[in-house]
Amino acid sequence: MPSLVDKRVIRPAQTALALDLVNEMDLLRLKTIARVYARGLPPEVTWEDLLQEALTRVLVGSRLRPEGVTMVAFVAGILRSLRADYWRRAVRASANTDTVRIDHESDESLAIVMSDPSPGPERALVALQELSAIRQLFAADPTALRIIEGLGQGLLAEQIRRSTGLSKTDYDSARKRMRRTLLREGLTCEPR
Amino acid sequence: MRTKVKTITSEAKLTRILDAFAQELVESSDEEIFAVATDLGMDLQKWSSAFAGVTYPARPQLSDFFDLEALQARLLIDKKP
Repeated sequence: MPSLVDKRVIRPAQTALALDLVNEMDLLRLKTIARVYARGLPPEVTWEDLLQEALTRVLVGSRLRPEGVTMVAFVAGILRSLRADYWRRAVRASANTDTVRIDHESDESLAIVMSDPSPGPERALVALQELSAIRQLFAADPTALRIIEGLGQGLLAEQIRRSTGLSKTDYDSARKRMRRTLLREGLTCEPR
Repeated sequence: MRTKVKTITSEAKLTRILDAFAQELVESSDEEIFAVATDLGMDLQKWSSAFAGVTYPARPQLSDFFDLEALQARLLIDKKP
């Protein structure tokens, strides 16, 4: 006998779409952004999980969109904070094992347990691998690589243009090519 | 006077680059997405592979093909002496 109950699980992205919080193009934009922010996270934390979790937070109202901020920019911010949360939790978990005891003149009651606030070697290695993967992704575009180097150093568009000697037109076309590469990378059906 | 040398950790560098990439993607236009999807041979219909991981799971799961509750009930019946 067919079941009277519909057991299909509706994904947060489908709900957001049905509620007109986002449209299909926004979802594709968010997919590519989720894939960017999932870079360097361990395999058990997928971009798919990040995206559905971010949309869930919007749907349940645990994050409220400030006025004047587009839904895509808002969800991108949540994705960014989910990534930061993950690393905070990872650091806290490792802090329980990697601690330094500072004894105060052998008085045990004053001993302080401190964790190392710098990123661990594993995280630094993962970051280096991701930076290398990004360089590989843009290997065919030396201008884009120079811009990315500047972005990594925290330079603004104007500073990057000045340091690389790029004209505004060259800079803008390189950014356009970068966007295209990121969209291409983000829209493919690779699970990670 | 000595020049100040600022060392940037690889993680900080990666975070800045990822933020800049995300900002680029936030600003991407519908036309750009459509053009890339067309290049990739995606027609952007509801079940297009572009929506894998978004409106449907990127990796097929067992429950997509089998009614697991029915399967479990069946296994229980089979186990009974």
